[in-house]
Amino acid sequence: MTDKNNKIPFDEDNYTHNINRNNERKLDRRGFMKTLVGAAGVFAVSSLPWGAVAAKELAGLSDKKYPKQKITDIKSIAVGDAVDFAFPGEHDSAILVRLSENKYVAYQNACTHLRCPVFWDKKEEEMICPCHHGKFNVNTGVPFAGPPRRPLPEIVVKVENGAVYAVRVKRYEA
Amino acid sequence: MKKRLYLELENCIGCRSCLAACTQCGGHEERNRNYVYDVNPLVNRQTMPLMCLHCENPACARSCPAQAIQIHETGAVLSALVEKCIGCQNCTIACPYGIPKFDTEQNLMYKCDMCIDRSKDGIPPMCASVCPSNTIQWLSDSEIEAKKNQFNLNNGKWVTSMPFLEGETNVKVNLPGILQGVTKLF
Repeated sequence: MTDKNNKIPFDEDNYTHNINRNNERKLDRRGFMKTLVGAAGVFAVSSLPWGAVAAKELAGLSDKKYPKQKITDIKSIAVGDAVDFAFPGEHDSAILVRLSENKYVAYQNACTHLRCPVFWDKKEEEMICPCHHGKFNVNTGVPFAGPPRRPLPEIVVKVENGAVYAVRVKRYEA
Repeated sequence: MKKRLYLELENCIGCRSCLAACTQCGGHEERNRNYVYDVNPLVNRQTMPLMCLHCENPACARSCPAQAIQIHETGAVLSALVEKCIGCQNCTIACPYGIPKFDTEQNLMYKCDMCIDRSKDGIPPMCASVCPSNTIQWLSDSEIEAKKNQFNLNNGKWVTSMPFLEGETNVKVNLPGILQGVTKLF
């Protein structure tokens, strides 16, 4: 009788076997899975506001209005020259190139590779990034050499009463 | 005031009131969870009720791979939890008294749970409250002690069989002649 497996209480308070109602694990396997699913649901739902923010941002990009900003006077920029400015914010450096008598192009000049400032090479008639020799077509802003793969964001300019103004940034289309 | 079920088997008149009460009981879905046995079929008319002995160390619960059978704090061994029972019928094999019944339709074991909704609040189980012959009684430990003193237990233990199949049980049974070692079981 003494070697029988009938000790009371039978010592089986462990994770794999418990038959006492009051020792029921708070977090059994099923509860754990439910917790996982619930947490996933909470994460999913809590990410929705960011989706709304992103949607709002994307919806508003096409018609983002900035106050027009004077870049330079026509007198002070010769044909084939460039001038640096900042648009729309004070840290968004940009460059204006006068290609001909009436043709001006402007780009935000942070290189699309690693954001080095792109400058205008008058001799080669191309825009060059000095860091890794990325080159951009001055007419379109499209890269044609070096590491950058995306065009420079173009700034729409307009000429009014002897000065060049930056109006808006064209939306980047992939 | 903790009370236990006490079966005074020689009182049984075979009226099956306990079966009817269990069948009619709420939540039992017209299925009774207890038994009335012929003690000596074809020899005499003596019957005995048996619901579940609610072992201290229940073989059914220990055999259950899903731990669907739980021991309540009152000592009652509950019926299989619907959400856990996998219908393997291990308990029906493990139980030395043949208590657990199996519902093949629901794929679920069901057994007496001492009417836990009643007995946890000190109300006697349905079978005890309807028994007309005082076979199934709902007694406090001191009353059971008094009953126990009526017998000369030759092993000093209050168990359901000699030599006992299982350990101690929460339901106390008097087995006239057997506990005294006077009558042979088989």
